[in-house]
Amino acid sequence: MGLKLMIHMKNVTKVYENGAVALNNINVDIRKGEFVFLVGSSGAGKSTFIKMLFREVLPTSGILTVNGRDVIRMANKEVPYLRRSLGVIFQDYRLLPEKTVYENISFAMQVIEAPRRLMQRSVNSVLDIVGLRDKYKCFPHQLSGGEQQRVAIARAIVNNPSIVIADEPTGNLDPETSWGIMDIFQRINAAGTTIVMATHDKTIVDAMQRRVIAIEDGQIVRDEAQGGYGYES
Amino acid sequence: MKVRTIEYYIREVFISLRRNNWMSVASIGTVAVSLFIFGMFLMMVMNMNKLAENMESQVQINVYLLDKVDREQARDIEKDLKEIEGVESVGFVTKDEAMERFKDRLGDQKTLLDALDETNPLPDSFEVTVTNPDLVKTAAEKMEKLDGVECAKYGQDVMEHLFEITRLLRIFGFTLMLVLAFATLFIISNTIRLTVFARRKEIAIMKYVGATDWFIRWPFVMEGMVLGLFGSIIAAMVLRTAYTAMAEKVYDTLAFFPLIPEQPFLTYITIVVVISGMVVGAIGSAVSIKKFLKV
Repeated sequence: MGLKLMIHMKNVTKVYENGAVALNNINVDIRKGEFVFLVGSSGAGKSTFIKMLFREVLPTSGILTVNGRDVIRMANKEVPYLRRSLGVIFQDYRLLPEKTVYENISFAMQVIEAPRRLMQRSVNSVLDIVGLRDKYKCFPHQLSGGEQQRVAIARAIVNNPSIVIADEPTGNLDPETSWGIMDIFQRINAAGTTIVMATHDKTIVDAMQRRVIAIEDGQIVRDEAQGGYGYES
Repeated sequence: MKVRTIEYYIREVFISLRRNNWMSVASIGTVAVSLFIFGMFLMMVMNMNKLAENMESQVQINVYLLDKVDREQARDIEKDLKEIEGVESVGFVTKDEAMERFKDRLGDQKTLLDALDETNPLPDSFEVTVTNPDLVKTAAEKMEKLDGVECAKYGQDVMEHLFEITRLLRIFGFTLMLVLAFATLFIISNTIRLTVFARRKEIAIMKYVGATDWFIRWPFVMEGMVLGLFGSIIAAMVLRTAYTAMAEKVYDTLAFFPLIPEQPFLTYITIVVVISGMVVGAIGSAVSIKKFLKV
């Protein structure tokens, strides 16, 4: 595979201050355009894995580069620029309740001081991608869970990130709504964006047949190019 | 900084000032009181310094004669005085003239002297001017040694007292200022903390999408500065009014007291007070936002 290396982890270990070993000697390479599922039981280290990618958690040792940037040796003031190349999506959406759909999305452009003339066009185009163009004036509480998550996806991709990182994005959604979300992810991925998604959803992982990395007790126990969930849930 | 970003900051500041209006009012009030006291001490110290300087630059010596000295002897003394190094001119002031001047100086309060009936406790004296302030001290010492001279006075004693008072004022004022500065910092940082806390979700999202720390910090720092600015404007206005009123009183009753003229002094005080207010406000908010930036 000659595609650009988006995420490179070599002997990455994370030990928290209380002595808990969250990740132990992890080696992973993720290339441009890949769609990767991160599976494993709760507390296995998935969250730590995800949080290290946007440097909310700093590895204790090893080498970690994301999008060509050395995450470990990076100065604090460079972190915002790392994050601008990533789109992050959470299980609980994390929308601002007093802002409309449009404002929630444009907020992500505003705070990185993106040019104003780009704003309307970019927001409209991501609203099209997630299928919420007609709801741009709504407030989050007027939307269903699936719609709120779609707004969160729109916000994550509005600045054209090269990697989308999703932590249990369908965790709060029913199966049908989840498929709607996965459909959006597939389209984003088809456009060339790398996707890393932590999930518990066996049905989705089995059906998609994408790369699966399974983590247990802080170690990678399986890494298959086209795998299934692999556990009886 | 981009115009749009500045617009964004200003909007954010006013939204949050309105949101915690009572805390905002309390902060502004604290800043105003603290800066008022600070300004008062500053004005007092500066006036004392000015007074001391005035005294120091005086080149006049008053030579008081003993009561037994008659006019004949006085003329001899005058001759001796003129021979002392540095003496420029010597003027004789009789005890009656001295009394007249004293009455003039007292102005409205001259009835105080009625208690003396017709007796005049003031001595005859010479007013000696010296060419150079540096010579005042040695000249005065020589004059005191002359026969018939009771003493030779110049600003020295008063000055020493003034310096002492100024020094105490400075120490006291400085200590008080330190305490007030901490109180002000504390209340401003608490006000801003409320704002920051109310918006911690927003801050977290800003961090996730890659806003820089300064982009996040600025609206809060500006809010602190606005609180400081409003407080200091109130303090400056009160100080200006108070100084003008006091100056009028002083001119009426203590005409010889050399107060610093209102302009440009008050402008200077206003600038110092306003800048201090804004700096304290900015520091107060920077302190309170630090913790919330760690995402």
